[in-house]
Amino acid sequence: MEAPLLGVQGLNVDLALQSGRTRPILRDISFELPAKRTLGLIGASGAGKTVLAKALVNWIEQPLHITGGTIAWRGKDLLGDRQGFGRLRGSKIAYVGGNPAGTLDPTQTVGAQIVEKLLSVQPRTSRREAIEKAVDLLAAVRIPSPSQRFHEYPYQYSGGMMQRALIVDALISDPELLVADNVTQPLDVTVAAQILKLMRELTERFATAVVFVSSSLPVVADIADELLVLHEGRIVERQATRRLVSHPIHAYTQALIGELPTIWQGHGPAERPRGQTTEPLLSVSEVSKTYKVRKRDSFAGYNHVQAVRRANFDIFKGDNFGVVGESGCGKSSLMRLLTRLEPPDTGRIVFDGQDLATCGGSALQKLRRRLQLVLQDPFSSLPPRSPIGAIIEEPLRIHGLGGAKERRRQVRDVMGEVGLDATLIDELPAGLSAGQRQRVNVARAMILEPALLIMDETLSSLDQTEQTKLLNLFERLQAQHGFTYLFISHDLAMVRRVCSRIAVMYLGEIVELAANERLFFDPGHPYTKALLSAVPTLEERRYRPEDCLLEGEPPSPIDLPPGCSFASRCPSAFDRCRSQHPGLTARSSHDLAACFLVEPPRVAARETAGA
Amino acid sequence: MFVLSFLARRLLQGFVIIFLVMFLIFTLLRVVPGDPVRLMAGGMAPEALIEQIATQMGLRDPILVQFGRYAAHVVQGDFGQSFVRPADGAATGGAAFNDASRSERAEVLTLVAQTAPRTFQLALTAILMALLISLPLGVAGGLYPGRWPDRLALYLGSIFVSLPNFWLGIVLILLLSVKLAWLPAIGYQGFAWTILPAFVLAIEMAPFMIRTLTVSVAQVMQEYFIAAGPVRGLSRSRVVLRHGLKNASVPLLNLLGVQFSMLLGGVLVVEYIFDYPGLGLLTINAVLQRDFPLIQGIAIITSAAFVLINIAVDLLATTIDPRLDY
Amino acid sequence: MASVDPALMGKLAMAPDRGRSLTRRVWAEAFRQPEFKIGLVVFLILFLLACFYPELSSIDPLKMNVRGRLLPPLFLGPNWSFTNPLGTDQLGRDMLLRCLVGLRYSFLIGVSTVIVMLLIGCTIGMVAGYKGGWISTILMRLTDAQLSIPMIILAIAILGVSRPTIPAIVLVLGLAGWPTYARVTRSVVMAESRKEFVRGAKVLGASDIRIMALLLAPLVLPPIVFVSVLDIARMMIFESILGFIGLGVQPPTPTFGNLIADGRKYLLNAWWIATMPGIFLCVTLTSVNLMGAALERARNRIFGGLA
Repeated sequence: MEAPLLGVQGLNVDLALQSGRTRPILRDISFELPAKRTLGLIGASGAGKTVLAKALVNWIEQPLHITGGTIAWRGKDLLGDRQGFGRLRGSKIAYVGGNPAGTLDPTQTVGAQIVEKLLSVQPRTSRREAIEKAVDLLAAVRIPSPSQRFHEYPYQYSGGMMQRALIVDALISDPELLVADNVTQPLDVTVAAQILKLMRELTERFATAVVFVSSSLPVVADIADELLVLHEGRIVERQATRRLVSHPIHAYTQALIGELPTIWQGHGPAERPRGQTTEPLLSVSEVSKTYKVRKRDSFAGYNHVQAVRRANFDIFKGDNFGVVGESGCGKSSLMRLLTRLEPPDTGRIVFDGQDLATCGGSALQKLRRRLQLVLQDPFSSLPPRSPIGAIIEEPLRIHGLGGAKERRRQVRDVMGEVGLDATLIDELPAGLSAGQRQRVNVARAMILEPALLIMDETLSSLDQTEQTKLLNLFERLQAQHGFTYLFISHDLAMVRRVCSRIAVMYLGEIVELAANERLFFDPGHPYTKALLSAVPTLEERRYRPEDCLLEGEPPSPIDLPPGCSFASRCPSAFDRCRSQHPGLTARSSHDLAACFLVEPPRVAARETAGA
Repeated sequence: MFVLSFLARRLLQGFVIIFLVMFLIFTLLRVVPGDPVRLMAGGMAPEALIEQIATQMGLRDPILVQFGRYAAHVVQGDFGQSFVRPADGAATGGAAFNDASRSERAEVLTLVAQTAPRTFQLALTAILMALLISLPLGVAGGLYPGRWPDRLALYLGSIFVSLPNFWLGIVLILLLSVKLAWLPAIGYQGFAWTILPAFVLAIEMAPFMIRTLTVSVAQVMQEYFIAAGPVRGLSRSRVVLRHGLKNASVPLLNLLGVQFSMLLGGVLVVEYIFDYPGLGLLTINAVLQRDFPLIQGIAIITSAAFVLINIAVDLLATTIDPRLDY
Repeated sequence: MASVDPALMGKLAMAPDRGRSLTRRVWAEAFRQPEFKIGLVVFLILFLLACFYPELSSIDPLKMNVRGRLLPPLFLGPNWSFTNPLGTDQLGRDMLLRCLVGLRYSFLIGVSTVIVMLLIGCTIGMVAGYKGGWISTILMRLTDAQLSIPMIILAIAILGVSRPTIPAIVLVLGLAGWPTYARVTRSVVMAESRKEFVRGAKVLGASDIRIMALLLAPLVLPPIVFVSVLDIARMMIFESILGFIGLGVQPPTPTFGNLIADGRKYLLNAWWIATMPGIFLCVTLTSVNLMGAALERARNRIFGGLA
């Protein structure tokens, strides 16, 4: 029998600790990969999957050590012949990682570096051939005007575009194996979906075998023929993809599949019924913000970045309002306006009957007590030098509330409520896990008993289990304290689960505003549909990315084209979209979308569509 | 287009800096006690004469008026005449002050133009020597952090930075020039007279270059693209030489721009020790003789040089690393 | 998509001892390096000598001794003696004693100058970095201007006419040196105040002064203070340069500068008078610089290359 392309036998990798001891990272890893097949590798962070991916390209560095086992290439051992292994890298075995922005030298052009690589591994190629091949492939991964982009520097590429260029870099030498390590991790969903599609096309075209590593099961399941499940350094299960999804054997795999959030099953939270007279807690009308950014190549010119464009929405008491969008859509700028870190250029933000945009001094200080922000990054959001108790107490001190004893008591109470151990009160945050840190953030925000809590990507850095726990906590706190939540997020699955009303942002604009059920099952804007189609999920897809999303990336928020800002990527765009700007149009009494294709509301019965 | 707008912006900023220097030096000289006329005229001169000369020279007008008058001249390229130096070169003694000789005093610009080339030669030699010393030490230290090249760089850097330049100058004169007679040291009659003072300056600058290089090389070596290069199929030496060192050179370039004033400070002392007839010696004498126009002129011209050098450095840095945008 | 920098998370997660103060960890890390220990031992010896030897010794550093003129250091020429281990000068004064007294002044001036620079520079840099806008612009141009003329010119120009007393020297050097500190502080504060916890404090309604004093200062200042150790040595050199030109503390008080300037006149027949104080100063500074360099490295390791 012919030896497989890649054979791994009993591979062990250890981490040498400073204390002189070692910790096992990978244990007894064995698998085979025949040519032209795609093998998926799935595991939680810390399971050792990146170490395994790197071991396959001879990239095990101090303090990691390979302590046993073999890696064989067509039956020939590689670990005994490191030089030979080194020669295979780049020529026969290619690697694409999850750090597109950092992979190339920032001081040299992308094209020059791709050519440099090809000439290094295939010295007999002429420079002109190499350049032609590189430009051809850049075109094949749908990089616009490739011969021009060839001469640009890495920083001029967006994340998605850079990842495409790196796929070119990997495949230009016609390798037989491609190790794709978390390639979609830093990318937005719609871009990630495009990259996956491209990888499928190209590896098929070049008959490349692929080891595809990811922590997202839906992503791997989308691309791999067969799946390996890695748990705490060991392979716990190996099955054909479809079989593994439907009949997981190992308890870990079952749990993994079990905790995946679902989007298309069950119901999202419904909006609370409200009478005609209810005043909104927060009312945003016609809010815009433009930033001036100095133009690079000019003497005194500025670019105007329209970060938020004429935003309108109301949030009612007890609501869970969601703002979703991909990076650069303006959701962070919106957060800065809502928390009055910056005033808007135009428009009103009325909170509790007062306009945040114009109010200042002690009135603003009073409003701040009722409106709190829970930050995104659990690591940079806590001052590293203050004890946890002091961090949580800080808001009380700032607003001069209570005596020292009283404050201390309140801190203990709040810590108990969010599930932080009371013994942590005098500890520094350095030792806390991400989940605990976010609890500190929540505690700090809620100690002032605010009416509105703004959650800026609060959960995005946490794993599924921890997310679920915190969401349950939020629910409980809402029931007890009557909080209103505003979730700002890129995570559609999370939004589907908790938000009753959702605004979708694209290029600084709210393109759709609808109730949960309606938004997911009857989206009014093509961008919403595209976004929904790109969400990785094991469920049967409601929308196919092929139908909903054309190639391309969002245009720059500088010099926006006239007309609809989504027109350049929209599959159903027509002439009018490119010249005229569609405003938010009512589809029913509550749901709005900014698209010319929106049908005006007809009868009340339409309201229940999709439910 | 990029270069033009960059130059325009930076030159404008540069003018602001030069103007600030001019203003600061001008006021400082007049606020600090010590009457230049007294120095010029000598201790014996009667009070009335001093007042008369001072008024004649405009030194009793309000400072702002004096400054305006001076600035107007500078804009036209006229930096005035030295208070004390006659046109033929040597400084005059204060005691023989004589009003009639005022017209023959040396132009500040001429004095600077006479001495600047020698200082330029000294500075350039010093920078080259410093690079020669610090490049191998710094790069090796950065490539092997924590190992012996790094330790060597650390120890040598610490010793170099602890050597007072004037003392090192004296010791080198004693050893190499007086005892061993290898190199000439005092005065200037040719390039050989530049070597010893340049070496002293190089030793003064080298530790900062070594440290910058060690840190920047070590930092660049931590970058992802350095580790990713060999995985993409490039050889390790190619990654280090073509990509690593190129990226690490930007901080060194920036340091050169910043070190300019340090170099000038060193030049002052070293030229004083070696009696090297350059800008530094001229400056020290001007300061000690309270020769206002000369001090001002030198300050303005050196700050202009500082501005130009930093523009050049930044321009060079942007061609190395196109991400930079000053 | 995840916005947390994985490298940072890794760094924080790997931080071995939870909760221990960063400053203490920097010291511990520095102490692990041999350079630091060598520097510390040498420095302590010299420091203790400077503190006690002049008091304990029976000789007066100012007392002349015509018969014991120009004695060479130990083993380095005729007539050396154990009473004058570094020899004597042209007036028969003991060189070791004079060096030690010089060290006292040098160190006093070095440390106070750095304190002055730190106080002025960090305050201004903090405000400029946090507030930005025109304060920052003015500061940057001012420091540019100051960087473009060597501080030694300023010092000479001022000290040349006013009487060079110790406070005057400290003030002049301090005033000339603060912009560097302001610049560094400004850039670090600018980076730090973009972080989320500062944003969080603003949303909570914390005042600017509160944020600067309670949040930013404890984070920003320690790393800068570590670097300032290196500047003590630099200032000691500046002090000696001033003394050498004759603008330092005036004789008969011995300082390194005027000792070397004195010795220069006797260079040919009594080389040690100029050389010994130089070596003495160089050894002292090397010990300080070694400690400073070790601290800086430790700081880079712990704070991850801040500033």
